[in-house]
Amino acid sequence: MRIVRSLKVWKLGTVNYLQALKLQDKLVSDRKAHKITDTLLALQHPPTYTLGKRRTDHNLLVSEDDLRSIGAELHYTQRGGDITFHGPHQAVLYPIISLRDLGLGARKYVEKLELTMIELASLYGVKARAGERGETGVWVGDRKIGAIGVRISSAITSHGLAFNIDPDLNYFKHIVPCGIAEKDVTSLRKEINMVLPNEELIQDQLISCFANVFGFSDIVWKNNSSLADS
Amino acid sequence: MALRTWASSIANALRVSLLDGLKYASSHEWVKLDGSVVTIGITDHAQDHLGEVVFVEVPEAGGSMAQGTSYGAVESVKATSDVNSPISGDIVEVNTKPSEVPGLINSSPYQEGWMIKVKASNPSELESLMDPKEYTKSCEEEHAAR
Repeated sequence: MRIVRSLKVWKLGTVNYLQALKLQDKLVSDRKAHKITDTLLALQHPPTYTLGKRRTDHNLLVSEDDLRSIGAELHYTQRGGDITFHGPHQAVLYPIISLRDLGLGARKYVEKLELTMIELASLYGVKARAGERGETGVWVGDRKIGAIGVRISSAITSHGLAFNIDPDLNYFKHIVPCGIAEKDVTSLRKEINMVLPNEELIQDQLISCFANVFGFSDIVWKNNSSLADS
Repeated sequence: MALRTWASSIANALRVSLLDGLKYASSHEWVKLDGSVVTIGITDHAQDHLGEVVFVEVPEAGGSMAQGTSYGAVESVKATSDVNSPISGDIVEVNTKPSEVPGLINSSPYQEGWMIKVKASNPSELESLMDPKEYTKSCEEEHAAR
């Protein structure tokens, strides 16, 4: 008997980082208590730099004041991974799912997140690949197109992935992205050098790739979601 | 065997089940009873599923913990995973070696990769943990869920 896995998708539009974090904390708590099913948040952030649990702020190349002056925020988080940038035209997915129910460990989970982004890129004829050892993420050649940083608490996930559709790549100049120097950052727009379809379509495709890779066959869309719903 | 007799008399004194080696939690931590002090770490199954560990966070000695709460975290492949305590008690000793050499969690999860030692405040909690056979079965069931 094939288990039907259900995924509730919240499409949130542009959300402030801390608000998204607050929502994730609540959903993780609800998921641990079996109050909700596996959930996926799909959103974008205003210009935001974030650090992981290791607090690798030596990879921030400018001061926090400088970031504020360009209209960006900086946040320290509990996720794994190094420093990264989130901003407009970058598709972010935060899966709040039970790895125990899926029978996945951290390593397999991260591999599937990489695969999700690789599949999306391939829809546009872009040949992306997972990173080598120590360079987790999704690459086109030696240019990074997708980043990953997750937190796992009692086998429930939070944080997730960020895929560059067409963000302003100049923002990445203020950091050593993911702590990997001498490698560039890229975007879908840059790789295909064509007009991209509507961004919402690309985001929906990313969600479908996620559902496909993780075996979720029943998708419930929470359209026009707002944080007020939580 | 002398060791087993000694362990069994301690076990009787604490009124817990006799431990045959280590006991395990379904969240993939192991415990080893040594008198009233319990050593805790994560299992080989856990380290294998995490991948290469790059960062380990352990608490300071002296704090206390409830069963099921997080006492630290382990980072591997861009994922930080909380590690939970299978029992309640006071943290009497912390192993700082994994913070310096995170790979110990992978290479020696049951020996050099031990994480904390706790003075059990509620020894009956040990009874709810699994023996090696039950733990192996639990891992197999998890694997089958894929």
